[in-house]
Formats: sequence, structure tokens, C-alpha cells
Amino acid sequence: MSTYRKGRSTADRLLFLATAILAAIWIAPIVWVVGLSFKPNEILMRTTGGIAMPPFTLKNYSDILAASSVFGWMLNSAIVAIGQTVLTLVIASLAGYGFARTNFRGRDTLFLIVLAALAVPEQAIIVPLHTMVAQADLHNSYAALIVPRLAFPFGVLLMTQYFRAISPEIEEAALLDRASRFKIFWRIVLPLSVPAQVTLGIYTFLHAWNDYFWPLVSATKPEMYTLTIGLASMQTNFAQTEGIGFLMAQAVFAGLPVLILYLFFQRYIVSAVAGGGSKS
Amino acid sequence: MLRRTLLPLAGAALAALLAGPTHAQQKTEITFARFFGACEGDYGTSQDVAKARGECGVMTTLVNLFNATNKDNILVKPQIVEWGPYYQQLNARIAAKDIPTIAVMHTAQLGDYTRYVEELDPVLKEAGIDAGDFTPNARTGVTVGGKIYAMPWDTHSWLWHFNIGLFKKAGLVDAEGQPLVPKSLDEMLAHAKTMKEKTGKPYIVIATSGPGDFANSARGYYSWLYDQNGSIFPSGYESANFKTPESLNAFRAFEALSKGEHITKGLDGSGALGGFMNGIGAVYMTGTWRIDDFLASSQKPGSALSEGYTTRVFPSLFQTKSVWTDNHSWVLPKGGTTPANRKAALIFLKFLWDHNFDWARGGGHLPARQSLMADYAKLPLRQNVIDIPSFGRALPHEVRRQFGFQNMIGEEIANIINSGKTAEQAADAAQERSVALLRGR
Repeated sequence: MSTYRKGRSTADRLLFLATAILAAIWIAPIVWVVGLSFKPNEILMRTTGGIAMPPFTLKNYSDILAASSVFGWMLNSAIVAIGQTVLTLVIASLAGYGFARTNFRGRDTLFLIVLAALAVPEQAIIVPLHTMVAQADLHNSYAALIVPRLAFPFGVLLMTQYFRAISPEIEEAALLDRASRFKIFWRIVLPLSVPAQVTLGIYTFLHAWNDYFWPLVSATKPEMYTLTIGLASMQTNFAQTEGIGFLMAQAVFAGLPVLILYLFFQRYIVSAVAGGGSKS
Repeated sequence: MLRRTLLPLAGAALAALLAGPTHAQQKTEITFARFFGACEGDYGTSQDVAKARGECGVMTTLVNLFNATNKDNILVKPQIVEWGPYYQQLNARIAAKDIPTIAVMHTAQLGDYTRYVEELDPVLKEAGIDAGDFTPNARTGVTVGGKIYAMPWDTHSWLWHFNIGLFKKAGLVDAEGQPLVPKSLDEMLAHAKTMKEKTGKPYIVIATSGPGDFANSARGYYSWLYDQNGSIFPSGYESANFKTPESLNAFRAFEALSKGEHITKGLDGSGALGGFMNGIGAVYMTGTWRIDDFLASSQKPGSALSEGYTTRVFPSLFQTKSVWTDNHSWVLPKGGTTPANRKAALIFLKFLWDHNFDWARGGGHLPARQSLMADYAKLPLRQNVIDIPSFGRALPHEVRRQFGFQNMIGEEIANIINSGKTAEQAADAAQERSVALLRGR
């Protein structure tokens, strides 16, 4: 018994050590980014080492905040990211439930088409998409930033697979009780799918928040820039050599809202990911 | 009583709202698409152009000054985009008919855009801009098929920046303590060997590892190619030839530097710049825009450049003195002006033209106006680069996708420097890759 405990304890320690090493490796670049963001750019032109040594400065952050539009860009990002997330969850859940639980003509073919869309890279459709949005005179609007991103095959696939894994017996019992399909979906299946919803929500939100290429070509008026485009527009032509501290501050600034969201929803996110992993 | 007082007031307010803003408040807006960054923190309200430094500082201050002082009630609205994807966004805007009034453009790109930008010969005349004052290089840059399509803003070119301290240590200085500039490939390699033996440091510092670094070696390649009066389009613009003797010589110059360990390997832009300022090598290959930074660094006691810094035009190793150049310029995209704002656009162009020296002084580039050259030469070290507009060269405008060529050539030279590819292999690869770049021209 004591040998077992000893062995277990050593294994735990090794596991802890390995986890700590991996965490340190993962966090080191982030610490470096944060450290560089507090260093003067003229120092960083000579060396990017010694982040713990003075001098330090807040100028990189004050330069970001000095941009009159920066909070407008942040608001745009929030509207776009939240809008995309909510609508994607609605569409992917409904579509996923339809594919998983209902029988209709052409269902499998339609599902194959959705799967095939996973293999189409964004760059392949950017020109026709841009032209369509231009013809609808929607560029420089929230609709243009949100709607094209709602066609999200991965979300449909994820929700379909999740719904398929939920035992149909619960729904059959509800059907016997004369509950409508939508009522079953809304009252029974949807609450059971919260872990998948949260996973998809996090993924969609981060994707929307960090999106660069589509907002670049669609939101061309500075007042419609998202945070990624707005911050990038502030970079001088030689930012990678003479404005490293500023670049790093931009990275921290853009990542901060997401980090704050994570801190607020940490419990749900962790349980969603863990739940998603051990679901079936 | 209250009703009697409020109703007329409300009526007046409503009438004012319906009437819209008064004539005095109406401004003629022009949109101004550019890169160069935003720097509201340092120059948000500044109008003191003489104190502005850097491309961003000068551009921001010039727009502030114009908006505050023009008597024609014109409001310039900058639309600032990151440098890298600037042209992708401009293309998208043209396609979507969301066209800026004025846009910045590298003249290397102008050949791709002549269908989409206005011919400027008559426009410049109307604006009071004397095209006769263009430097030869600027004139070539903005002229396509004999017609002017842009107002030139500068010439930027490729230099060698010298750490004089290391050159002194290696004994590679003349009687006045100035660095010896090689006049042939053999001489350059001999100097590099001496540098390495005497200082243990590589002769050349260059950035070759990041996606944004490939222009560095490509500009060196072009300079040495033009230096032999060579061309990668010796027989028309339908196909490129990277295997001409001149092209191979240019590739081989990099190969020889790499084989002798005379050039830094695997550095990105930040590493190379910081490295040179910390004295890791003797010569830094980069542009005209770095002169003031290095000068400032050399004036700091204890800096690796404190024993002296100077700059020269990219050295001529072959028979023809030439060097890579490009220009920033301003274009009027077709459909970007309306009858209402066209005059305003011309007034702003003229304002920029009148402040071309401010751009050259603060932005670090050579002026586009011949009449400013004498004053420009009085700035520190500019005497060494003042002749560039007379012999600088660029790819002809008939060559489409010039930035694509620049990146591709730079990648191949990076392969020579960092991965040991031979000059011949790089030329073969460039040859093959050029087919895709030229497809559909």
C-alpha cells in the first residue's frame, strides 16, 4: 500500500513538473511580449533582451490610447464578435439538430456539401464574396462584417456530431408526450448541448475578434475599422524594426478584452472544454 | 405661457435641423488613403512641420497644418492602412467603387494601376505644379508610356551604412579616416576577408529571415544587376531571364559573401538593425531612411557607432554606376473625385508639392523636386547620396507585379545566404517562379 502511494506520489510530482515546464514554455513568449510593451522603442532598436531591466515606459500604451478612434474600433470588434457568435450559435445549433435528428430528402447530400465547404479556403472565395457585398452596397457596415462569416461549416459539423451523441431516448419520450420538435430542441436538447455551445462560442468569438483579412477589404472607412485593422493601421512602415514596443503593446491591448472575458467565464470555459472532451 | 415660449423655439430648432448645416460650416471633404502609420500620440494636433520627424510625423503634421490653415474650407480625411496589405485594400476599394480621392502609390506599382488612376499631365498644370521641376528619377517613376500618372513625392534608394570604428580597426580607411568603398567584387571580398581577420566580424549585416525582409537582398540584387546594365527582361516583358551573365553575377556576389561567412545569416529586420547598432558587423544594407537614426546613435557616447558613422550609395562593383530606386507618389484614382471636391484635391496636391522638402528632411527620403536638391545636400551626410536621382533605376513599368518579383528574388537570395543554395540554383528557381508571376499579364 505504501509503495503504491509512494509510486503514485512520484508520478504526480513528475506530472506536475512536466506540466509546469510546458506551462513555462507556453507562457514565456507572452511574458516577453508584455515586457517588451513597456520598453522604449529606441532601446528596442538596439536590443530586445533585458525586459526586466529599466528603463520602462507607458508611452507605447499612451500612443494607442491617443488614437481618437481606438475605443470606436474596440466597440466595432465587440459588436462584430458578439453578433457573429450569437448568430453562429443559433444557425449551427438549428442546422446541427436538423442534420442529426430529422429526416428529409437530400439530407445526406446537403450534409456532404456542408462538409465539403470545410475544404474551401477563405482566399478562394474572397473575390466573389467581396463583389457580392459590393453589389449589395453593404461594405463598411456591420452586416458586411458579420453576415458572410455566418456560413461556418465547422460549427454545423460540431453541433451535428454533438446532437448525434445525445441519446435519442430522451427525445422519444418527449415525443410520446406530444412535445413539438422545436419544444424538444429548445427545452431538452439545447440545454444538454451547453458544453458544445460554449466551445463553439469561444472558437467563433476568438475567430471574429482576431479576424483581419475580411475586415481589411470590407471595412475601408476608419470609423468602421475593427480593432485588428485599426491598430495595424497605426503601425509605421518600419514598425518591425523601430516600433517593436508599440507593436507588442498593440498585441497586449488587442488581447486584453479576450483575457478579461476568459477570467470572468473561466469556470464555464474550463468545464465546457473538459465536458466536451469527455462527452460521449 | 410656457407653450407660447417653447413652441416658437422648437419650431426654430426644427427649421434649423431641416435646413441642415449652414453654408459656413460646410467643408469640402477629400479622402486621403495612405500608409506611413498613425501617430496621434506625438503629432495629434501638431502643425509644426519643422519639428516633425519620421514619415508618420511629417504626414500627420502636414495634414493637420493643411486642415487648420487652408482658406478654401477643405477637410482632408486620412484613411490610414498598414503598409503590408495597403494595395490589397486599395484593389478591394476600387472593385467596390469605394474610391479614395487621393492615394499614395509606389511608382514600382504604377504600371499595374494606369487603368485605374487619372492621367495627371493636365491636372498638375491646373494645380500649378511644375512638372519641369521633377528630378529625372522622379519623372521616370511617374511616367508610363509617355504620360504622367502621379505626382512624385520622393526617391528612396539603397545604401551601405558604415560602422567607421570597425573599418578603422580593420585598417580599411583612407587618409581622412573614411571607409574604403570597394570598386569590384574581388575588392569587396578582399575587404570582407580583412574585416573578418582583423575584427572577427562579418562585413555585411542584412535582414533575410522575415517575410518583410526579402526586399533587402532583392534591392541589392537589382543594384548589382543595374550596375552591369543588366536586365531580367532582356527580350521583352513576356518572360524573364534570371540566367543572364549579369543576373548570375548579382546572385554570385551574395553567394560569395555567404560562403566566406562575410554576411549575417538568419537575422530578421529587428535583429539586423539592432545588431548593426550594437556593432555585430561593419556595413548595414538598407535604405536612405535610416541615416538620421544611425547618426543619432553615433552621437551617443558608448554606442557601437560612436567612433563614427557614414553612408554611401550602394557600391558599384561592375562597370555602370547605378542603384535600385523607388518613389512614393500621389495618384488620383479614377472615380475618387467628384465635381465638388476635385478642386480641393488639386489644392491639397499643390500644398504637398510645396512641402516636399519637409518630407525629405523629416521622412528620410530624397526630394522629388530638383529645385530642392541644393538645400537637401546641406542636411547631414546627404551630400553622399545627392546624385542618386540622376543614376538610380527601377524595373520598367511594363513589368507587372513588381512587388511579387521583389519578394521572390529576395526569398531566393535568402536561400543562398541562409540555406547554402548556389547562385545557379537560385537563378533556376527564380526563373521557374517568374512564370507564375507573369502569367495573365
